[in-house]
Amino acid sequence: MVRYILRRLGQSALTVFLTVSAVFVLIRLAPGDPAASFAGPMATTEDLARVREQFGLDQPLPTQYLVFVRDMLTGNLGTSYSFQAPAFDVVIARLPYTTTLATSAILVTAFAAIPLGVWMARRADTRREAGVNVAGIAAQSMPEFWSGVMLLTVFAVLFPVLPASGFATWSGIVLPTITVALLQVALISRLVRREMGANLAAPYLVAARSRGVSERALTWRYAIPNSAIPVLTALGTRFAAMLNGVVVVEVVFAWPGVGSLVVRALETRDYPLIQATVLVTAGLAVLVQLLIDLAYPLLDPRVRIGKAVRR
Amino acid sequence: MSQHGPPGLSRRALLRLGGAAGAAAALGPLGACAGPTGAQSAGAMTLALNRSLVSLDNKLNQFDAAVTVQRAVRQALTRIGPDLTPEPVLADRFELTAPTEWTVRLRKGVHYSDGSPVLVRDVATALSMYKQVSGSFLASFFPEWPQVEEVDDRVFLLHTERPLPVLDYLMANILITPGDANEAAELPSGIGSGPYVVTAANRGTGTYTLERNDRYWGARRPAVPTVDVRFLPEESSRVVSLRGGEVDVIDTISPDSAEQLTGLPDIAMDSVPGTRINQLFYNFRKPDDHPLSDVRVREALTFAIDGRTLVDDVLVGSVTQADGVVSGALTGAVATGAYVHDPRKARGLLAAAGIGPGDLTLKLIWETGEFAGDTTVMEAVLQMLKDAGVGVTLQQFEPGGDIPQWRQGRGGDWDVIGNGFASPTGLALATVQGMFGGTAEKEKTRDTYQGYVVPEVTDILDRAYDETDPKARQELAAQAQHAVWRTWPCLWAFVPNSVLARRRRVRGLALEASNSYDLAATRLEG
Repeated sequence: MVRYILRRLGQSALTVFLTVSAVFVLIRLAPGDPAASFAGPMATTEDLARVREQFGLDQPLPTQYLVFVRDMLTGNLGTSYSFQAPAFDVVIARLPYTTTLATSAILVTAFAAIPLGVWMARRADTRREAGVNVAGIAAQSMPEFWSGVMLLTVFAVLFPVLPASGFATWSGIVLPTITVALLQVALISRLVRREMGANLAAPYLVAARSRGVSERALTWRYAIPNSAIPVLTALGTRFAAMLNGVVVVEVVFAWPGVGSLVVRALETRDYPLIQATVLVTAGLAVLVQLLIDLAYPLLDPRVRIGKAVRR
Repeated sequence: MSQHGPPGLSRRALLRLGGAAGAAAALGPLGACAGPTGAQSAGAMTLALNRSLVSLDNKLNQFDAAVTVQRAVRQALTRIGPDLTPEPVLADRFELTAPTEWTVRLRKGVHYSDGSPVLVRDVATALSMYKQVSGSFLASFFPEWPQVEEVDDRVFLLHTERPLPVLDYLMANILITPGDANEAAELPSGIGSGPYVVTAANRGTGTYTLERNDRYWGARRPAVPTVDVRFLPEESSRVVSLRGGEVDVIDTISPDSAEQLTGLPDIAMDSVPGTRINQLFYNFRKPDDHPLSDVRVREALTFAIDGRTLVDDVLVGSVTQADGVVSGALTGAVATGAYVHDPRKARGLLAAAGIGPGDLTLKLIWETGEFAGDTTVMEAVLQMLKDAGVGVTLQQFEPGGDIPQWRQGRGGDWDVIGNGFASPTGLALATVQGMFGGTAEKEKTRDTYQGYVVPEVTDILDRAYDETDPKARQELAAQAQHAVWRTWPCLWAFVPNSVLARRRRVRGLALEASNSYDLAATRLEG
């Protein structure tokens, strides 16, 4: 068990390291000059050279990389060019807002999608299920920027009952959460419906039903626990993706999270800030995945941590 | 299916561990959640800025709306007033007493928000720190940094090697902070002498809370006790937040948004001609035999542009067609001519220069967001030039992309660039010098403005900078502007209005051409 966790932690660290290394190279291959963004249009060649030297951008790429790795291993992710503050601190200041939004969205998703999926499975192939299915496909097809703007228009402009932007009060989280959750509810509810449909038709449940076990018990005691692993995996994957910044939603709602931060960092070619954002969010994402994996035995006793299922 | 757990780990323990892991997965991130940044306090005014105010210092960057907030906390010896001339702030005397010497006297009783006095030493330290910082946008406006010579507690001299008669304008950008706390870097915190103090700041989110400075030295104390500053990068968010009453003032509004907000009962719009000029500037690095090196061709092409249509239909009246080489709002700006739409004349002049229909193709480049409606303007210009028999290709650069290299002629060849030039000094002479004062020496390192090197213009500008008599200096400045116009540096140019929208409860807000206003003069009613 401990060995398994250590091995997974090692793999996670390697994943994060490779991700950050790839980003290090890719952002330097992209067009743009951080020194020019930093110094502005009035900067002379001499100014630019001074800024490049100050940021270490005058060094060959391999040297820059080695310096970056050395600093990273000592916990130094560099100074953000645009904030003139430690890049890690800037990311950490924004991260709680993204975490809040992601947690809120995933809770709404779980509480809405699981009962909805169960309801759809129990009413499979009825008109009502088909209607909900169509609505789900429509929600799945709506880009987040569009649904966000529509929600804004209705609830912040036409009927101004909710804040339009930022996170000044708790009500400010409602519209971004709904925007993020809309797509996820559509996806997860269809997954739950599929898993539940398969389980409700499984021979063991047919046998249980023939012995007079109530439909409620069949659903909640037998079918749902057996459908839980793929659903939990999907929820975990979605949650990990949200921690990387719900970029579009953060921009539409001026949410002060890492998504909008990384957009700005990319625009200004703020290399340390981009790298710090990737490091932190990738680290969180693999950690969430690890925790989800560790939760599997709770849901399915056949699962052995670190071992294949024996049949 | 095995019913046994691994050796040493019971089923119960495994379940417990799994449960703990699951709970951690589900609830762990809750511990890292954030609460709201804070609702608007009663009696507070909320400003929404389009760019993040990463500090209340301006050593590295200074965008228009930041000036309003920065000057509410930190002050300079002078400020650029509503008429774009210097007004005394921390100094009550700022006088040219010799060609290379200014005498300055600190106002009696000026002090910081902690009660400590503003000292001559603080001014010397501030100048030293602005000089040392790498990448300062202000450095380009200072031909040289003045030296401070203390005369007594309040009086000091500013010495320069060469005459610098616009120093009172330039010093409006040097913010004074206690010398011991100043650094050759953007100051993330600290105190100032302004009418407000910062009581809460989050650089990450760009959220600041300013409270009235109870120890303010000035006679007029601010009427609004609390000012909340928020960062809302998306214009649509700013507009919706204003309409919903979440914020009181928004700035940097595009023509489309201005149209949406105009006529709403709770919203007032303020608009004044700005100090910035946006240009479709020719590439002056073309070889001698290129058509654009011929001033007749540059002039001929201007007749193809229907400026009236661009102003009225494309930019919805939010700009003014330029009638000079800098914004007419700047101190010392003169009208030098007009852009006239006459396609027939354009074709005739091009033919006279030996260029027939289809002989010339121009490449227009610009960076997204360089000015409001940039893409639409460029597409309209393309059509107008085509109507005059000139082929056009467009190349748009993403923000932060390679356009700086192209500007310097190092990225690729181009003919016309869509470019804006701000004027933080409010002075026409400084702006003309910044754009058109290029020399052959500077061009060796590609540090001129799009390759513009015209010795006649540079000579006049040099003489203007050396001239200590204001009247004679203005004559030279006007002469330089006319000389620049005669070289036809732009295909077209326009001056965008500074536009601001506010809730009607915000009173006393006087928007200035510099796209900023005196925060302490505002008040809330209702």
